[in-house]
Amino acid sequence: MRTDDLIATLSGELEPVKTGTVTRTLLGATALGLAGSVLVMLLMLGPRHDLAAALSGFGMWLKLAYTFAIAGFGFWLVERAGRPGAPFTLGLRLLMLPVLVIALVAAAQLLAPGADMPDLVMGRSARVCPFLVVMVSLPLLIASFWALRRLAPTRLTLAGALAGLFAGSAGAFVYAFHCPETAAPFVALWYSAGILLTAGIGALLGPRLLRW
Amino acid sequence: MIAQEAEYRAWMLAALAGDAAAYRMLLAALTRHLRSYFARRLEAGAAEDAVQETLIAIHARRATYDTALPFTAWVFGIARYKLIDEFRRVKRRAAVPLEEAAELFGHDDTEEAIARRDVNLLLAKLPAAKRQLVRDIKLDGVSVADAAARTGMSESAVKVTVHRAIKSLGEDLERGGDADR
Repeated sequence: MRTDDLIATLSGELEPVKTGTVTRTLLGATALGLAGSVLVMLLMLGPRHDLAAALSGFGMWLKLAYTFAIAGFGFWLVERAGRPGAPFTLGLRLLMLPVLVIALVAAAQLLAPGADMPDLVMGRSARVCPFLVVMVSLPLLIASFWALRRLAPTRLTLAGALAGLFAGSAGAFVYAFHCPETAAPFVALWYSAGILLTAGIGALLGPRLLRW
Repeated sequence: MIAQEAEYRAWMLAALAGDAAAYRMLLAALTRHLRSYFARRLEAGAAEDAVQETLIAIHARRATYDTALPFTAWVFGIARYKLIDEFRRVKRRAAVPLEEAAELFGHDDTEEAIARRDVNLLLAKLPAAKRQLVRDIKLDGVSVADAAARTGMSESAVKVTVHRAIKSLGEDLERGGDADR
């Protein structure tokens, strides 16, 4: 086809674009992925038995706040990654904020008098925690990739990693309703490990699955 | 800031609202930049394919343009992605140099057309036989040996003829420059 004809065809079939299309695509995918993650958590792990009581504890809220903050910035970063030429260094810098906060809280708990350091760091589920976070995150990872394929990512490894970061942190948020750990050092280490693992999987899959 | 940013962005905003005439002007203008961009980086056949691929991508993914951001950066991001994709397709592990959007919008194919016309005007001043020799050797990359065989001249005679022809064209250009002053 001649390029002039192509231009004529494309402009002939032009339809108006609704504003917020990108955000709607991402929100739709997030809702589906989140539903999938909650199902995985409920059916394969189950919520912690003392959930009602835990919701009044500091540890639970710390976990939820940490993972929610990373997921929030992660959502924004995925949106940036889906748009050619959009800068995202600011988003990457803002990610440092929740990490800094949880590192400070973790340090305070570790340095408090009489602190049981091994218990604060390892808890009872350190060995499985990162892998369970990945498992709960998988539906969100699939949904994020599905959404990104509808957008226009141009740096595929980075876009995959950011999709993994978002899926991992949102998945960790869901996982927090199962996980009985409440110590900040545990969350700072093992939740972060699960999130990074999911981001790594996303980075590996990005160049393969996100091409358009 | 890219010189064409305001104009192209206005066309894009109109196109997103459904204005087909603005969209057609925009695509035609972008095609001129894209042709020059890909022609300098890909072989002839692949270059025009890449232009069309990029136009289709711009069309299919137009919802991903964030109207708060520079439009030229968005187009450049897509063009560069299609270039890398083409390299990947032909398994050429070429390093794609770091570039900015000015690389795309600093050129369009009219520059090359003007340069080609200038060269043709200049060559027209030479006698036909010399013109053919200069065109063969300096523009089309014919070897001196081949040109010598074709014309029946010796290789050194071909070299001398081309050298003198270029020199006379150079002098001609300088005289033209004097006349302008």
